[in-house]
Amino acid sequence: MLSVKNIAKKLPDGRPLLKDISFEVKKGEFVGIIGESGVGKTVLLRCINGLTIPDTGEIIISSNNTHQKINGKKGKELRSLQRYIGMIFQGSNLVKRLSVIENVLTGRLGRINPLRSLFYGFTDEEVDTALNALEKVSIQHLAARRAETLSGGEMQRVAIARALFQEPQILLADEPIANLDPKNTELVLEHLLPLKKEMAIMGVFHSPQIVRDYCTRAIALKDGVVFYDGRPDISSSILEQIYGNEFAVQPVSVA
Amino acid sequence: MSYSLFDLDQSTKNLKQKKNKLYTPIFRRILLPGIVLMLALGWSVFALRIRPGHFFDGLPHFFNLVSEMFPPNWEVLTRGRVLFSVLEVLSMAFLGTFIGGLCAFLLALPASGSLSQSGSIRAFFKGILAFERSIPSLIIALLLIVVIGLGPFTGLVTVAIGSIGMLGKMFGDAIENVDPKPLESLKSTGATKIQIIRYAVLPQVIPSFIANTLFRFDINLRVALFLGVIGGGGIGFEIHLAMSLFRYADALAITALTLTVIWFAEKVSDYLRKKIIGKEILQ
Amino acid sequence: MRLLKRYKTYILPSFIFLMLLWGSAIITQVELHTLFAGIPRGVNLLLSMFPPDLSVMPELLYPALETVQIAFVGTVLGICIALFVGMFAASNVNKNRILREITRGLLSAERALPDLIVLLFFVTIVGLGAFPGVMGLAFSSLGMLGKLFADAIEEIDPRPSEAIAAVGATRLQIIRFAILPQVWPSLIANSLFRFEINIRASIFLGVVGAGGIGFNLIMHMRQLEYQQAMSAILVILFMVVICERISDVLRKRIIGAEVLK
Repeated sequence: MLSVKNIAKKLPDGRPLLKDISFEVKKGEFVGIIGESGVGKTVLLRCINGLTIPDTGEIIISSNNTHQKINGKKGKELRSLQRYIGMIFQGSNLVKRLSVIENVLTGRLGRINPLRSLFYGFTDEEVDTALNALEKVSIQHLAARRAETLSGGEMQRVAIARALFQEPQILLADEPIANLDPKNTELVLEHLLPLKKEMAIMGVFHSPQIVRDYCTRAIALKDGVVFYDGRPDISSSILEQIYGNEFAVQPVSVA
Repeated sequence: MSYSLFDLDQSTKNLKQKKNKLYTPIFRRILLPGIVLMLALGWSVFALRIRPGHFFDGLPHFFNLVSEMFPPNWEVLTRGRVLFSVLEVLSMAFLGTFIGGLCAFLLALPASGSLSQSGSIRAFFKGILAFERSIPSLIIALLLIVVIGLGPFTGLVTVAIGSIGMLGKMFGDAIENVDPKPLESLKSTGATKIQIIRYAVLPQVIPSFIANTLFRFDINLRVALFLGVIGGGGIGFEIHLAMSLFRYADALAITALTLTVIWFAEKVSDYLRKKIIGKEILQ
Repeated sequence: MRLLKRYKTYILPSFIFLMLLWGSAIITQVELHTLFAGIPRGVNLLLSMFPPDLSVMPELLYPALETVQIAFVGTVLGICIALFVGMFAASNVNKNRILREITRGLLSAERALPDLIVLLFFVTIVGLGAFPGVMGLAFSSLGMLGKLFADAIEEIDPRPSEAIAAVGATRLQIIRFAILPQVWPSLIANSLFRFEINIRASIFLGVVGAGGIGFNLIMHMRQLEYQQAMSAILVILFMVVICERISDVLRKRIIGAEVLK
């Protein structure tokens, strides 16, 4: 389970971005985060997995009876916690020159002994499991291909396989479908959805329709705080408040 | 924690049975080239009789000599011979690059096919240029010294000849990459080959010619320097001489002057190159 | 009047240029008659160099090998140090701006030094022999390789590094899995290029006495043993051409493998 308590973060120029964010997410949930551009959704995700340090507040991961704080940790301690948080980026961020299977294998670098990973590489069991992960996203036949030869949708699925291979407790996704066409969008989301059985998923989306169709819960950010936290089928009046004037009727499908 | 997502699937099992491995552990991949490299390295170090102990033994000697270099003997720079030698190096590089560039241009024309369409003529001239490029300037210098004698003139000719290969190739490439449309329109008005070259090819390639020549000039400054050591004239000789006579403070002073002059010449060359390329873009 | 002004921008620089050329000709003591007198002498020389004295070949092989080995070890040593220094000078690896600028400045200064001067100094101060030659080559390669390596490291896409950092990887793991795969073809190509340069420099090292075939060549020339000198020249040419061919082939294979895959 992930607890976010009173997170605040200022922009580099001093203006406040996040003011007081609090919520909890459990395994089995697929949370969609929405809000205006620039409201701080990506910053929030990065605070959760330690890539960015919040000014105040706490981020706590707990499983069974253990609680671990993420914020404020550095170096080895931070790394040992990061392995429980998986992240999918907007651009999939694969290492283009490595093969697909190697990209998936990098998911467990947080767990493998650094010396062994540097000088030996990955064991046969790890390769087998990575192959399974690829199979879960239906691209195991691409395992030997170089990552850069894949299409955007396929690359994103490799990123999911990598996150899967990592076996995190929490999966973060920062606009994972923003660069994809509608067909690939559907493919990626269809593969993302079943993962909520094993982990808590939090995804930032720019489309409330997607959140309504796929997520179990929606959190909307506005003015640095959690404006809405509840069922994903948000009424249009609330949506108008979330997005202000820029929200107009969004077409659901490709026209 | 056990992931229910990772139950084995039959189709994947089949994939795994394939002989060609999906992933080779790192050390096996770099093992072969790594071993070859290590063997070559080990053999070389052994054959050259390099012993790290040498390095540490020589350190006190090293520091001794370095301390003898300071302070540099600036007085030696007032000797006319030294200043003149610096000028010699500049002149050798300057004039030599110029002459070499002209000859390279003359060779590049047939090599690029502007003069004749014959494939064998092009190949012939390209071959000359390629062969010429491989000959180290050292060898050219040694031969010319026997033929012409010692002195800066020999150095000049060496620099010129040494530049032909590289500049010839660069010029040839530039000519080949020229936009063919102006050439065709001139041809259709009945212009001769020479006229086509003068009015359609040249205007397009001159900026790149000048830029390449300036580039070669930078290289030739260093070539001229090293020619001095073997007797081709120029300050390389003075530096080498000072070192052989154990006059290290002199050597440092002369070297400092030489480096300053070279640095300055390169700055001028860079400035000119930027101006030319800038003009290109503006045009 | 306007015509005159426009011509001034062409005529004046051209005039200065011609003056410089003429001045250079005087300083370098251009004597065309010497050149023309040299032509028959040159022909004579070439004739006296053929046929090359092949009996000398066996004793030339070892120095030739030595020259290649000095260049090889020197380049490898230079690569190792340059890799290390290059990481210090790369903005995505070294966050400390002052340290980075200093490193880059030192690399720039070293690059400006002519290879010859560096080698001369090394051979003088450390002594003659293969080891000073190797050190000299390594040091003279530092400037160019250090800068090229640093630039290559800086030009990589930072996003894969971030993704791998996000799973909890250590700094070394990030370098190995995200940075190195992107950067190694460029590293090897630059290294091979420097190796070609160092082969020629190694010949020169022989001339000033650090061992290798350059020494044999100079000796034969000075002793007017032209046929033996010709053999040495042939061996040198052969060596240079082979090393450059191997280097080119390897470079194409590396870059080609990248493109084809």
